[in-house]
Amino acid sequence: MWRYVLKRLLQAIPTVVGVVLITFILFNVVGGSPAATVLGQHADARSLAEYEAARGYDKPLFCGNWTATRALEAVDFETAPPGVRARWGAGQDGWLRLEDGEALHLPLAFLLPAGERWRLTVAGRGAGFPQHGSGSCRTTQWKKNFHTVEKNGEFFHGVEIPEFRAAGGPVEIRRVRLERATRHFLDSQLAHYAGRVLRLDFGTSSSLNQPVARLLKAGIGPSLALTVPILLVELGVSLTLALLCAYRRGAWLDRGLVAVCVALMSVNYLVWIVIGQYVFAYRLGWFPVWGFESWRHLLLPVGIGVATGLGVNVRFYRTILLEEMHKDYVKTAFAKGLGRGRVLFKHVLKNALGPVITNVALALPFLYTGSLLLEGFFGIPGLGYLSLNAIHSADVDVVRAVVLVGALLFTVANILADIALAWVDPRVKLS
Amino acid sequence: MSGAAVIRGAAAEGGVSFGREAWRQVWASWLARACLVVLGVFCLAALAGETAHAWYAWQDVTPPWQMQDLSARYLPPGAEHWLGTDGLGRDVFLRLVQGARIAFQVGVVSSLIAIPIGVLLGCLGGYFGGKVDDVVVWLSTTFASIPGLLFVLAIAMVVGKGLLGVFLAIGLTTWVGICRLIRAEVLQQKERGYVRAARALGFSHGRILFRHILPNVIHVALVSFTLRFPAAIGTEVFLSFLGIGAQGEPSWGVMISSARLRLWQGMWWELAAVTAAIFAVVLAFNLLGDALRDALDPRLRTVQD
Repeated sequence: MWRYVLKRLLQAIPTVVGVVLITFILFNVVGGSPAATVLGQHADARSLAEYEAARGYDKPLFCGNWTATRALEAVDFETAPPGVRARWGAGQDGWLRLEDGEALHLPLAFLLPAGERWRLTVAGRGAGFPQHGSGSCRTTQWKKNFHTVEKNGEFFHGVEIPEFRAAGGPVEIRRVRLERATRHFLDSQLAHYAGRVLRLDFGTSSSLNQPVARLLKAGIGPSLALTVPILLVELGVSLTLALLCAYRRGAWLDRGLVAVCVALMSVNYLVWIVIGQYVFAYRLGWFPVWGFESWRHLLLPVGIGVATGLGVNVRFYRTILLEEMHKDYVKTAFAKGLGRGRVLFKHVLKNALGPVITNVALALPFLYTGSLLLEGFFGIPGLGYLSLNAIHSADVDVVRAVVLVGALLFTVANILADIALAWVDPRVKLS
Repeated sequence: MSGAAVIRGAAAEGGVSFGREAWRQVWASWLARACLVVLGVFCLAALAGETAHAWYAWQDVTPPWQMQDLSARYLPPGAEHWLGTDGLGRDVFLRLVQGARIAFQVGVVSSLIAIPIGVLLGCLGGYFGGKVDDVVVWLSTTFASIPGLLFVLAIAMVVGKGLLGVFLAIGLTTWVGICRLIRAEVLQQKERGYVRAARALGFSHGRILFRHILPNVIHVALVSFTLRFPAAIGTEVFLSFLGIGAQGEPSWGVMISSARLRLWQGMWWELAAVTAAIFAVVLAFNLLGDALRDALDPRLRTVQD
């Protein structure tokens, strides 16, 4: 048994790695740095750079020895917009032109911090281009590494160091790029992110200014208070109804219930909540409309939660029970003269336990995220409420943490389901 | 022998084709016919909405469903406005038709993203097995383990507000189910005689997979299309309701969002109209999906007796 558990745990590792990779691709590669969204459009380059440095967004995505810096955005004078051209003093169009003896002026956005290694790359052509002063027309690259050192409390700022100077003729520059050296080749966002996941460090919420772990801890209680009753009540009600259907299969009760289930499935989730809240809380006044103060506040959300899932679940359990009833042992049981109820409860229900357990286990992660909309509508301060607010304020760390923890819980629930299945049903092979 | 096996046998002997027989079986039920009529009306509404949308965009005038008329606010359903007007005096019926247009777009485009991914990966994994299959299974397990609604929200958030985010979010999260079904089906088909015969004839893998096996498993994609369409509509309504879906257009989610506030002022007709529209379309898709599944794939049959 323990070997089986261990094996299932090992099998889950690739999935966990995959989840980490997918969240990384989604939020870091596609989404990019959230600094501009969080700090606003008018934030200066320096605070953007500080925000990114604190959260590891200043590193290369996967690997690399050099990384871009906010101090000087890489520029290509073929495509640069007029604002950028003006900052460089590059005129209306064409490449940036330096006369003989003139030095390149770098419009740095802020002082380069001391103690870092940098690389300046200039691509261009012309008779005065350093090291390639042969007057060739093709684009030539010039690279220079340098250290920033503190000197009388001042760092380089708009100074031409390392100096790029046209010598022996005019120079036309197409591209300029300033890069910062990373600590090592694998010092990347991916490594940073994976390391934090391993340490279970989920970062800091940018809108609430609190550690995400603390927010998750605070939200899990209210979420569970909402979803555990939903799960239990729903399991009880839908199994009972499914058994009723199976017991009276083909009769009007069965047909009617199935029809009602399909109809229930087709009512939009939102409509359930909107109309439920309006009718039962506002018009009839049976329940409080909003808030999370006593158990009375949970009655209506739980009721709506049960109602929304009922159609799908009753149909699912009914199918399982009826599939079981086609099997030979049921025929035998009937043949030896057992009553319908006895066959159903003593034989069929026991054998159908496997799919029921799997279904419940796979619903377990839902306990954690709660029901996004129910929490939002009824003001229950759980994880769903937290996620909705985080999405509205582009709080990447929170959304990512909720997604990640949800996926981990799902994987664990899967393993638990398999173990429970093996425990309940000795026919399941443990190898 | 169950229904489809007989039909497949008949098809092999040059009888009625499998597809036509399945269609006949679906058409024979009055419920399925009613569903097809409802879906026909839905498609026509979407098409009409699309035409009107394109026409007003081309003419560069404000379309009537955006026209605010503050003197005609909160009008109940009547002769002039069939389904009444909303809080800004806009005609609810016209907005409903535009909502149908967006729902239709979301269902079709998200399927165009999800079904090719699912079918391709499922075919490759099932047919080649080994390392390829390991990668396919790993990918689908990983995607399946991320909580659905949150995944959708995260993708929509990263892509940005608007319908593009909705398309991508739904498309990129729902291919897993199709992939699994197709993979299981291909695994079974590849042991069949016709595949061995094709292999013995020396056909290339690509030809066997896409010319011979794919036509025999594609019905899975058809059934899953009818079953995922209502789910896609539901997700779009959810995203638009939260304000990260359709922008500045009357999608059904946007309409529920505004009707919700008006409901408390006693204006019930907008919410009722949207609810009824979604209910009819989703119910029709659900029932038709069940009927198609019964006709095309008896192994997945919902137990009726």
